[in-house]
Parts: sequence; structure tokens; C-alpha cells
Amino acid sequence: MSFLRDYAYYIGAFGLVALGLFTVMVKHNLIKLIIGLSILDTGVNLFLISVGYISKGTAPIFSRPGLEPANMVDPVPQALVLTAIVIGVAVLALALSLAIRLHKRFGVLDLRKIREQRW
Amino acid sequence: MVSPVLLVAVPLGLAFSVPLVGLASKRGAAFVPVVACLFNLIVSIRLLPRVLDEPIVTSIGGFTPPFCINLFAGPVGVLLSTLIALTGFAVSLYALAYIKSGPTVRYHTIYLILLVGATGVVLTGDVFNLFVFFEILCISSYALVAYFGDRAGLESAVKYLVQGSLGSALLLIGIGLLYGVFGSLNMADIAAKMGSVDRMSVFVPMALIIGGLGVEAAIFPLNAWLPDAHSSAPSSISAILSGIAIEVGLYAVVRMVFTVFGASSMLLFLVFLGLLTLLVGEMCAFAQTNIKRMLAYSSIGQIGLIVFALAMATSGSVSGGLFQLVSHTLSKALLFLAAGYMIYRSGSTEISSLEGMGKRMPMTSLAFTVGAFSLVGLPPFAGFPSKFLIVRAALSEGETLLTVLIGLVLLATVIEGAYFFRVVQAIYFKKGGEDTTRREAPAVALVSMFVFVVLILVIGTYPELVTGALSSGASELLGRANYIGSVLG
Repeated sequence: MSFLRDYAYYIGAFGLVALGLFTVMVKHNLIKLIIGLSILDTGVNLFLISVGYISKGTAPIFSRPGLEPANMVDPVPQALVLTAIVIGVAVLALALSLAIRLHKRFGVLDLRKIREQRW
Repeated sequence: MVSPVLLVAVPLGLAFSVPLVGLASKRGAAFVPVVACLFNLIVSIRLLPRVLDEPIVTSIGGFTPPFCINLFAGPVGVLLSTLIALTGFAVSLYALAYIKSGPTVRYHTIYLILLVGATGVVLTGDVFNLFVFFEILCISSYALVAYFGDRAGLESAVKYLVQGSLGSALLLIGIGLLYGVFGSLNMADIAAKMGSVDRMSVFVPMALIIGGLGVEAAIFPLNAWLPDAHSSAPSSISAILSGIAIEVGLYAVVRMVFTVFGASSMLLFLVFLGLLTLLVGEMCAFAQTNIKRMLAYSSIGQIGLIVFALAMATSGSVSGGLFQLVSHTLSKALLFLAAGYMIYRSGSTEISSLEGMGKRMPMTSLAFTVGAFSLVGLPPFAGFPSKFLIVRAALSEGETLLTVLIGLVLLATVIEGAYFFRVVQAIYFKKGGEDTTRREAPAVALVSMFVFVVLILVIGTYPELVTGALSSGASELLGRANYIGSVLG
């Protein structure tokens, strides 16, 4: 059980990444595909957070009395995740606006039906 | 004293002032990218002689390098930022005439943000900062590919977005793993600690990072998005995507392989991957009947050649590869710009519709021909000395394997010559339709093409103008210890 306890976050993170990858590869509906991308992003973010996480750790605020360095989580990955979330939102918004445009103009969301260009 | 930070900060500020200027005058908004690129060009050219002596390391936030985000303006970075500013300047001139319909103000905003992302990638010295600038570059190029809002544009933008975001996710996982191993995000710091860990523990992050960046760099087999995206985008954007975006992706791959990982065991693999990319790109380009798709596949081929040259990792081949990168940027941007107005005039992207263009648009046709000849590698155009340097570097190694491979490279060049000469023949020696009236592209567009034509001719005739900077760029990429030393002190 100690393996599960120690690596639960990593299992969860890579589970989400795998789920997202699977969705992106298998689904043909553009909206479902975008949901897959979003799940993938969440998995990556969870992974980044767990890189710097210590069990029962807390924010490294040095002015707080009685806080040992061993109980502080690494703040760098959390800063990275903040940035990654913002980037993820931008990609998601752009993808959804492309989907809306495709649906309005051509009435399709199925990627198999809009494939005009080939190698 | 000019600081490399200005190269990122000033255009970024100007990019967000474009909508404000657009409120006052839509026409005025189009001039903001011109001004921003001109500023970057002047700053980069002023920085260039200084960084050839010694790279400038700028730390941000007042901390010393391993603890802060730093910019590293070495010969390669400033050379590429000069190239980006120059191409950006000429293409923004072209866009003054070319981008007339649609949300033009947003076009100019996103265009400038794209250039900021590209400049940031080539100057940064921090892995996560590289990711952020890379995403700025990618997201703005997804948006610009769909600019016309037609079916082909939307479809290829969606494809590009999905494949690009998968690549970015892989890149981010790789960066996370790298941080887990080294506890640092500074490139020089990671590079310095690289020797102290087991090679196997950095293999997975390396594979993820190179795979993630390889999507944008269009290294085979990660380049399925490229022909669609480059051919469906507006021609000015195709020029930027082919001339700058993929080169910047390639720079990021090379920086990771050479400097951060110091992975000499990867190089032979990259040599083969480059050759494969070259052959696949050129053969697909040969089969195209659509001029923009042909140019897009030719970009894949050229990227393969650059990867091939850089991965040989001798000082001669790396400077040859960088030279090829410069000449490809100039020639391919010129080709897309010229093709843009020829397509505009003929109303079709088929190569057969370009017949008789030599009489209808003589100046534009001449510009296209110069670009095509330079890309094929005919003297006295810029493509000749660059290809010559690569071939000479490969032969001077004296290894049988490299001699055989360079033979394949020359074969690919012959294919390249065949399809470019076919287009040039259609332009000049075939009778077009009844419409033989002479009507040129607008004057600003001709000026922007003229900039590239002059540069291609000057660099082709006097290659010594750039070879000095290129060889110090090569020694920067190959000199890992110097890089670490100049950042960490």
C-alpha cells in the first residue's frame, strides 16, 4: 500500500494524460476532442504540482512561526502550473472558437467530414 | 546601452497598442508592426558586434542566474533575432497592401505577438520561459492560419492546433520531469549538472522535449500539419510560418540537444531523421500541383537539410546549417510573398494557372525566380554558398557513411531543382490565357520582395559578410562549457 500512497498523484496524473491522449486519438467529434485536450492539460498540471508536493506540506512563508523547511512544498512548480493553466485556457478558447466558426459556416463538427486536404 | 530585454518588451507593448491605434485609424494600425520590427532590427544589429565578442547575459528580477529567468543573447540568438526582425519588417510592409479584408486590426496584433514569441524563444536561457514563448508563437500561428475563415483555413487550423497542443503537452511533461531530476529550470544550470546524473534518468525527458518541440520544427514524422497549415494561411503568414516559425522550433531542438542535454549519442539518429525529412519533403513537393502546397513541402525538405547539417556537429557543418537556415528564411519568405500576388492575380493556386505570368507580372515573376534559384542552390544566390558549405563539411569528415548520405542530399537537391524549374518554365515559357495585360503587385509589396532579392544576391555574392557571425554561432552551439561558464560565471 505504501507504493500507492507515495505515488497516488503520479498515477492519477498520468492516468489523466493517458485518458486525454486516448480521447484525442479516438474521437472524431471536435468538441469531444477538445474535451480530451483539456483532460490532457489537467493531467500535465497535476503532474507538475505533484513534482514539488510534500505530503501534508504547506506554503513556504518564512515569517510564519514554527514552520520547518521539511514541511514546505516547492513553490516553483506551482508558479509553473499557474502559467500553464493560463496557456491552457488560451488554447481551449481558441479551439472552441474555431469549432463554433466551423459549425456556423459549414454545419459540421465531425473531423472525418471536413477532411478535404490530404498528403 | 541597449539591452536584449528591449527586443521582447518593446514589440510586446506595441502589439497591445495596435487595437488602441486601430480605434483611431484602421490604416494606422497596420504601421505598428512595421515600426516594431524596424526597432528590433536596429537593436539587433547594434547588439550583433558586441555579442560576437562576448555573449550578453541579462538576468531579470535582480537575482543571479540559476535563481532567475535570464536572457542569453549569444551570436546565434542575436543572429536569429536579426533575421526575425528583418523578415518581420519586410512581411509587415507586404501586409500593408495584402491584408485588406477581414479583422485587419486583430491580424496586426497577433502578427506582432507571433514575432515576440519567436524572438523570445531564441533569446531565452530558461527552459520554462522557452515553453511560454513557444506557446505564444504557436497559439498566435493557430489563430492566423484561420484568418480567412474559409473551410481549408479552419480545417488546417484545427489540425495544427490539435497536433501542436499535443506537442506542447509532451514538452511540458518533459520539463516537469527535468525539474524533478535537477531541481532547476535554468538551461546552463541543468547543463552543468547533466554529468552528475544517470544518463537513463534524463532519457525520457529528453525524448519528450525533443518530440514536443519536433512537432513545431516539422521534423518527420511529426509534420502532418505543416502542408495544410502553410498552404491555407494567408500568403504573408505562410511566409512567416515557413521562414520563421519552423526555424525557431528547430533552434529550440538544437539548443536542447547541444547545450542542455549535450547528447552526442543522439546526433547520428538526428542525421538520419534529417535526411529522411529531406527526402520525404522533396518527393512530396515534386508530386504537388498546388503552388503553395509545393512550397510547404519544400520547407519540410529544407528543414531536413538543416537538421542534417546541424546534427553532423562539426564547426563547418553547423555554420553551414545556420547559413542554410538564413538562406532558406530569405528565399522561402520571398517565394511565398511572390506566389501570394501571383495567386491573387490568377485566382487559382494551381501551378498551371501561373503560365504566362512572366508577361503579366514581370517583376513579381523575377522575384519568384530569384527565390527558386536560391533555394535550389544556384550561384550567385544565397543558397549556393550555404549548400556548398554543408557538402564541403560532410566530405572533409572523410567518413564513408557521410559521403554516401551527402550523395542522397545532392539527389534531393536535384529533385528540388526539377520541380522549381518546372514552375519557372510555366511562368516564362508557356503561353497563358488571353489576359496578357501587364499589372504588377502593389508598390509596397514589390518593395518588400525587393528587400529579399537584394539580400539574397548580396549574401550570395559576398558570403564573407555573414560567415564570420555564423562560425561564432557554431562555436557557441558546440561550446557547451563556454555557455555554462558565461551564464553561471
